Amino acid sequence: MSAGPAMVVSASRRRIDPDPSFTRAFAELAPRLPGSDRQEIAALRARSLARFTELGIPTQRDEAWKFTPVGRIVNRPHAADVPAEPPLERILPHLLGGPKARRLVFVNGRLVPQWSHVGGLPEGAAIESLTRALERRTEAVAARLARDDGRSFTALNAALAASGAWIELAPGVVLSDPVQLLFVTVPGASAPMSHPRVVLRLGSGAALTLLESHVGLEPGPALTNLVLEGELGEGASLAHDRLLLQADEAALIGKVELVLGARARYDQTTVALGGSLLRSESEVSIEGEGVECRLAGLAVPRAGEHVDTLVRVHHRAPASHSDQLFKSVVEERGHHAFAGKIFVHRGAQRTNAYQKNDNLLLAEDGEVDSKPELEIYADDVKCSHGATCGELDPSALFYLRARGIDATTARGLLIWAFASELLDRLGDRTARAAARRALAARLPTGALVDEHEDAA
Amino acid sequence: MATALDTVKDYTEAEYKYGFVTPVEEERFPPGLDEEVVRRLSAKKGEPAWLTEWRLSALRRFFAMEMPTWQKVRFDPIDFQAISYYAAPRQKERPKSLDEIDPEIRRTYDKLGIPIREQEILAGVAVDYVFDSVSVATTFKRKLEELGVIFCSISEAVREHPELVRKYLGSVVPPGDNIFAALNSAVFSDGSFVYVPKGVRCPMELSTYFRINAAGTGQFERTLIIADEGSYVSYLEGCTAPMRDENQLHAAVVELVALDDAEIKYSTVQNWYPGDKEGRGGIYNFVTKRGLCRGKRSKISWTQVETGSAITWKYPSCILQGDDSVGEFYSVAVTNHRQQADTGTKMIHIGKRTRSRIVSKGISAGRSDNTYRGLVRILRSAEGARNYTQCDSMLIGEHCGAHTVPYIEIKNRTAKCEHEATTSKISEDQLFYCRQRGISEEDAVALIVNGFCREVMNELPMEFAVEAKKLLGISLEGSVG
Amino acid sequence: MLEIRDLHVAVEGRPILKGLSLRILPGEVHAIMGPNGSGKSTLAHVLAGREGYEVTSGSVTFGDEDLLALEPEERARAGLFLAMQYPVEIPGVANMYFLRQALNAVRKARGQDEIPAAEFMRRIREQARLLGIGEELLKRDLNTGFSGGEKKRNEILQMAMLEPRLAILDETDSGLDIDALKTVADGVNRLRSPERAFLVITHYQRLLDYIVPDIVHVMADGRIQRSGGPELARELEERGYEAVLGGRLAA
Repeated sequence: MSAGPAMVVSASRRRIDPDPSFTRAFAELAPRLPGSDRQEIAALRARSLARFTELGIPTQRDEAWKFTPVGRIVNRPHAADVPAEPPLERILPHLLGGPKARRLVFVNGRLVPQWSHVGGLPEGAAIESLTRALERRTEAVAARLARDDGRSFTALNAALAASGAWIELAPGVVLSDPVQLLFVTVPGASAPMSHPRVVLRLGSGAALTLLESHVGLEPGPALTNLVLEGELGEGASLAHDRLLLQADEAALIGKVELVLGARARYDQTTVALGGSLLRSESEVSIEGEGVECRLAGLAVPRAGEHVDTLVRVHHRAPASHSDQLFKSVVEERGHHAFAGKIFVHRGAQRTNAYQKNDNLLLAEDGEVDSKPELEIYADDVKCSHGATCGELDPSALFYLRARGIDATTARGLLIWAFASELLDRLGDRTARAAARRALAARLPTGALVDEHEDAA
Repeated sequence: MATALDTVKDYTEAEYKYGFVTPVEEERFPPGLDEEVVRRLSAKKGEPAWLTEWRLSALRRFFAMEMPTWQKVRFDPIDFQAISYYAAPRQKERPKSLDEIDPEIRRTYDKLGIPIREQEILAGVAVDYVFDSVSVATTFKRKLEELGVIFCSISEAVREHPELVRKYLGSVVPPGDNIFAALNSAVFSDGSFVYVPKGVRCPMELSTYFRINAAGTGQFERTLIIADEGSYVSYLEGCTAPMRDENQLHAAVVELVALDDAEIKYSTVQNWYPGDKEGRGGIYNFVTKRGLCRGKRSKISWTQVETGSAITWKYPSCILQGDDSVGEFYSVAVTNHRQQADTGTKMIHIGKRTRSRIVSKGISAGRSDNTYRGLVRILRSAEGARNYTQCDSMLIGEHCGAHTVPYIEIKNRTAKCEHEATTSKISEDQLFYCRQRGISEEDAVALIVNGFCREVMNELPMEFAVEAKKLLGISLEGSVG
Repeated sequence: MLEIRDLHVAVEGRPILKGLSLRILPGEVHAIMGPNGSGKSTLAHVLAGREGYEVTSGSVTFGDEDLLALEPEERARAGLFLAMQYPVEIPGVANMYFLRQALNAVRKARGQDEIPAAEFMRRIREQARLLGIGEELLKRDLNTGFSGGEKKRNEILQMAMLEPRLAILDETDSGLDIDALKTVADGVNRLRSPERAFLVITHYQRLLDYIVPDIVHVMADGRIQRSGGPELARELEERGYEAVLGGRLAA
């Protein structure tokens, strides 16, 4: 008798082989990568590349990539370590955090020392570029790079990471001025790629405002593949403002993975305004009581842009609170996908978790996908989620027009009202202003509304 | 003082009330599945060549397919070769009148609370009884015939109405849709067939009662309901099975087709044997149910109360093809002990101004897992489409799981979608309040759970609602805590 | 009818009631007044059988039964009714349906048949009318979205329908305006009879203007500190707890 159908699902259709250029780039670059003089780092990088090749590029059959044909967008020849020297005046508008902010600036994955400034730190605070960190704390960095989360882009990042930072605050250290990590992409003719790795360690009671900016200065293919990971100790506090402002044709794939200790507070706001693909993954693990975790995001994809937001919040300890609010405004040929999941693990009683995804679909040819998920293993919890999708409210539009406001302005006002709630969540004033400018530039009535807001 | 939940745990350790075996003489195939088995099955039923070929092609697809892995249920691999694909009460020929039905089978249905005779006379519900694999009786036939309503077993429909069967069979759930649909298409033994002609409003609820009796068998019934233009039919389905240590497979396919202005209301109370407290035995319920709103202004409404089965895997869906068509899904799924349910719906909006509504209530207790999985897809053509989804979970005790996995995919800007989900528990305050008014804890749990599910229960036809209500209470007995 | 002897009760190991004794005879209306935290609501909950209270010593007999040995529903069926300070919302369960379930459970315990639907409807409509409760409120989900006054009136409606031997009113006056207070008090007064006793728990004297008690107890620090006639309530209102209890309150 036949054994019946096979019970094993072949993994084959969930991946495709990476473009050979990744391996070529690695071969060429390996001797120059930071830490390559250390045998164990060189070996680790080689292993990571092999792991990346094995895992491959995920297809849409991989549930985590269901809504995004990532292969079509990024599986193509890219060049690593492409030098570029943009003029300072192109950079200036993107320097955020005020005059006292500390900052590391990278262009196409190379640190630009003359624009970077991390001096005058209090005792117990360290802000180092990845290169510096690999020299000074080789083993600690290696341990981070060696961690395998089963995700191919993390493995690729470990193989090729040349930029990024190690940020560590000892217990009780509070940085009152923000720290900005600015990643600038200048595509040129060669489709550059960079793989920043950021490690963030806040000791108990430490506090930091981190401004993470990704800026594309001109259109053209490019890939940024970021991994940002770390821990917040008990009572630590992190305000994390993320501005994803890639230029046309450039892709960004980023993963943020943080572990939160008891009574920690984490506020993340991601504003995604530009790039062929903005894939933003956040995985937060709440491992103590009394944590406050707020994740928010705004995406305004248009003209073939694709924004894909994946959020996972794990409640592994009782009595913590998490809140997700993600919004999108989808314009012509824009595509927004949101997949958010709340896990309440066994024993995480008295969890309070909330998730909302609201979408405005404004174009005939736009698309919105939403997958708000709950996975709950404790009974004494308050969890809810909601998702909506629709056009602008016709009665609100009518109301404004009946008061004499023309249709275009009325639409602009309503879109602004919908979106600005998210911008207000940005912790830093300069980041808020920058996000406002970027959003205004995307709206037909932008300038008008922007002036109004600045005046207010 | 013991906690409320402890007390609930103490009262009656609920027994599966329908777990008896009926001793009837039966005819069955030895276990195993290959083309020869399918040919014999088809020959046994005297089927035309096209159907035999249809089955064989489905079988080939089945062998080429893989088990899905996306569902949130765990089970040992199913040995499809260990199942007997045909088991039937032995009868010389099909009974001509209800009096000729084997008295043992009659007694079974009496025990289930549906005496055939009484049901016919009192309730005015036309019932088709499927015992293991074959349909044993269809009541009320004559009355329906006068209206032109065809309600018979699918085997009979193949003989008497081949043109209808050939036209619609597999038109909504193609044989290659999924592995269980392929298996069903290859080996389906019986099931119900309904055709409601143009403009006829079926005056009574049509009903099928499914019963798995024989050990070592599966049940693979196939239901096909066609509502022609302007017609209406309400169809009820109930199911029970004996208690056995082994897992038995139930892989049914239900296809509904509604033409212009037609409406089909399909209600299920699923109470297959859920296995014992340790998770031994119980039915594996892998079912494909799908309705096609082919006509303009047509409507298909699914209502399900799922309390049984060790594993429930079903997603009664609507394809809203006709402009202004409407799809509804109302579901209560209760899991207790080690039951696993992964159930929900798909609403595919194709036509203009199509509307769908999803109300799902999941209740998990014991060490069970209960997942709502749903898809709302609005295609570019679905101008002005609307969906509303409400998904509520209730957890009873700290060892169970409740999960919500909705997919929302929208490609039309004029569409409007809303999804809401909540999670709650039965609070100590609620229990105490009820008890202070003299209501026992057991009744209080049933009362609160029924309240939680009321929106769905209201959708059930009256005679089903009473049964379903009792079932909710029974399913949660002895497990809370 | 109700005899509480030297009752000691702790919550999470902390003593709340510290030797409370009280005797209530049929037909009597007792009022218990006391400042916040004196243990008034604890007493109500312990008598009704609420979890989370540990009786460390003492006894309570109701009729000739050991009340503390009974489950909450058994106490209810024996004729003990607690009008709660915060009536609980139960979504999806219609108010009227709930009351009928409760009434039939109580009747069954008393050896009576289920109440015929028509009689139930007649009685509930009559009581609802007396309490100014509209038909619509009877059909709504139990306490769900009810205003404070509606919840309290609904408690009195349940009491009227269930006909208890002893009714405990736990801060029934809290959150009521004067009209609602009168309606509720009228409802209670209608139920006064030689067979039925009341225990009215309140912080303010106001309610006792409308439900005139036979005996007033002042409670503080887990014990009854003083008892007297209705004039004691007025004294409390005029002079305050501190003055009436003197040094005893500080303990």
